[in-house]
Amino acid sequence: MNTDKLLEVENLKKHFLPEKKFLEASSTPILALDGISFTLHKGETLGLVGESGCGKSTAARTMLRLIEPTSGKVRFCGTSLLELKETEMRNLRKEMQIIFQDPYSSVNPGRRIGHILQEPFEIHGFKNKKENIENATQLLEQVGLTSDYFTRYPHELSGGQLQRVGIARAIALNPKLIVADEPVSALDVSIQAQVINLLLNLKEELDISYLFISHDLGVVEYFCDRVAVMYLGKIVEIADSQQIYDSPQHPYTQALLNAIPRLGFGHIKQKTVLKGDIPVSAILPQGCAFQNRCPIKEKRCEETIPPLKEVAPNHHVACLLKH
Amino acid sequence: MLLSPELEVQNLKVSFSTPRGKRIAVNEISFQLNSGETLALVGESGCGKTVSALSILRLLQEPPAEYLSGKILFNGQDLLTLNAKALQDLRGRSISMIFQDPMTSLNPVMTVGEQIAETLIRHTPINRQEALQKSADLLHLVEFSSPKEKLNYYPHQLSGGMRQRVMIAIALACSPKILIADEPTTALDVLIQAQILELLENLKKETRMSILIITHDLGVVTEIAQRILVMYAGEIVESGPTQDLLENPFHPYTKGLIASVPKLGFQKKSGARLEEIPGNVPSLDQRPSGCPFHPRCVWSMEACKTQNPPLRQVETQRQVSCHLEPGSL
Ligand SMILES: Nc1ncnc2c1ncn2[C@@H]1O[C@H](COP(=O)(O)OP(=O)(O)O)[C@@H](O)[C@H]1O
Ligand SMILES: Nc1ncnc2c1ncn2[C@@H]1O[C@H](COP(=O)(O)OP(=O)(O)O)[C@@H](O)[C@H]1O
Ligand code: SF4
Ligand code: SF4
Ligand SMILES: [Mg+2]
Ligand SMILES: [Mg+2]
Repeated sequence: MNTDKLLEVENLKKHFLPEKKFLEASSTPILALDGISFTLHKGETLGLVGESGCGKSTAARTMLRLIEPTSGKVRFCGTSLLELKETEMRNLRKEMQIIFQDPYSSVNPGRRIGHILQEPFEIHGFKNKKENIENATQLLEQVGLTSDYFTRYPHELSGGQLQRVGIARAIALNPKLIVADEPVSALDVSIQAQVINLLLNLKEELDISYLFISHDLGVVEYFCDRVAVMYLGKIVEIADSQQIYDSPQHPYTQALLNAIPRLGFGHIKQKTVLKGDIPVSAILPQGCAFQNRCPIKEKRCEETIPPLKEVAPNHHVACLLKH
Repeated sequence: MLLSPELEVQNLKVSFSTPRGKRIAVNEISFQLNSGETLALVGESGCGKTVSALSILRLLQEPPAEYLSGKILFNGQDLLTLNAKALQDLRGRSISMIFQDPMTSLNPVMTVGEQIAETLIRHTPINRQEALQKSADLLHLVEFSSPKEKLNYYPHQLSGGMRQRVMIAIALACSPKILIADEPTTALDVLIQAQILELLENLKKETRMSILIITHDLGVVTEIAQRILVMYAGEIVESGPTQDLLENPFHPYTKGLIASVPKLGFQKKSGARLEEIPGNVPSLDQRPSGCPFHPRCVWSMEACKTQNPPLRQVETQRQVSCHLEPGSL
């Protein structure tokens, strides 16, 4: 594997002040992202996994500076992003693209697909209309759509087809990095396979690195070299895919793996289904944030916040019992 | 197990009027839901699963929907011939339904307790006090901790999984014979999905109701369904006992659905790809001639383009609609 660092994230934090809701008095800040650190190497695919609300999208958005982080560092090809001016940032954006979960909400419903695919070129100052049209047509082909989609409107496409358009737009300007924020979560299982295969093909053809976000470890296995598991704003385990799937260490990772629906028989009976939910309130217990759901919790978990520690080469876990 | 049908659907055909004319969404489907069984209706989005389910309770708006033919037999009655009052009485009492997105079915400005109690009061002779007590029992049944306290919660104070459990509590309030669950876990995370599936399994054991569960993800149902119906483009294309059907699918579409569920221990190497079903479910305007699956089928032959194979019995408990001989995939 190439060891050039493409993206370095250091202790990245984002706190939101919640709107006051009906019947709720508190306005404790939500620690949506509570200090995450990782490095993505060139050519690598890193999976970021965890349940809804654990901070995956916030991580993606702060990293790309679509929203401003509260604190932390992000370096892209060695350049520190958070100190860049907006104009400098715009130039770099060509290199780092994002694909969203809901393909319908990420395109302008009034524009034809052909126009949507010319947008990236127009935004970045490519003025030759004829070339832009040619490029847009070629993009369609690259993502497996025939040229008659050029004149269609978004609502005429299925979710899977429109996600292909989202991918086409993301690869338009030859990015080095694509952040894919749950690109297949809204799609049928059969269509997920199509889209994942497309992303795998493009990676090999275009030498792209991915940060692949998902709430489903089952999907990530097909796709990622390394996996980071998040819980309530923190990374609780990070390791090579193989290690995550063969010997998961954190009880949360184990539970996530255990819950993946598989074609098999009767194993629900042996399966221990983890009780409880991600806490809805902003107020977290002292100590380990996972304690209220953890099947192996001990007294000391109520006192100490477990740090992320290396337990095997390149395998980091944030659980007191595994250190 | 004694196979007595709780519900029997015969030749149900449903259309929608659209600006481009009348379009068939459900094309002469027949199946039965046996007493005490969990039956899964599986297929990709747009195949007609929801329309079929809503038809059972006659919840489709007519027009644009129209029941062109068929019978839905329950308790010796054809539900398609019932009047509005009788249907109202049936819904939520004998047959209940839960949906993918609980937020759209819950009232945001009413407490959880009031909403469950409302269903109880509508269908049973019970006063408010008793209804609230029973509501707490129901919340306990769907595994809420401190149920009494949760009665006073508003939907927004609950997580997605908890809201779905409230919906299940409402659905079970009057001890229905049949629960129809339309993609009850599709919007939920895997851990919460596992909780809800386990809950449905436990509830079925306690109440002996029959469940019709609808999903696009075969992985979800293998653990709780005894039997599977596979639906494609408004038709049932294969049916059979879960294990048998999964180990030995007869229809190419079923085989494709099985293959697309991610398998554990996939060896990630350059060039390795997931198995996919090419193409998409056709819209109502583009339903192909012959076998509706033929444009996406790798086994398609000349005959498939013009002749739609009927659903035929191939083994005691297996049915399939495909020109191929069963077992040749
Ligand atoms: N703009 C915002 N204002 C307030 N809270 C937010 C905002 N965006 C996200 N959050 C909160 O931050 C947490 C993490 O959200 P998100 O990053 O969207 O999680 P995920 O993508 O993992 O589902 C959640 O509790 C969410 O409610
Ligand atoms: N009210 C309606 N008017 C016209 N077409 C409809 C209507 N409701 C559903 N359909 C169409 O009927 C088909 C089956 O839909 P549905 O039963 O919702 O599929 P599923 O639940 O399997 O995803 C789809 O092509 C859908 O677009
Ligand atoms: S630190 Fe304690 S509560 Fe947290 S995951 Fe480990 S064992 Fe469970
Ligand atoms: S009838 Fe023909 S097209 Fe249809 S599923 Fe069978 S082989 Fe494929
Ligand atoms: Mg998100
Ligand atoms: Mg549906």
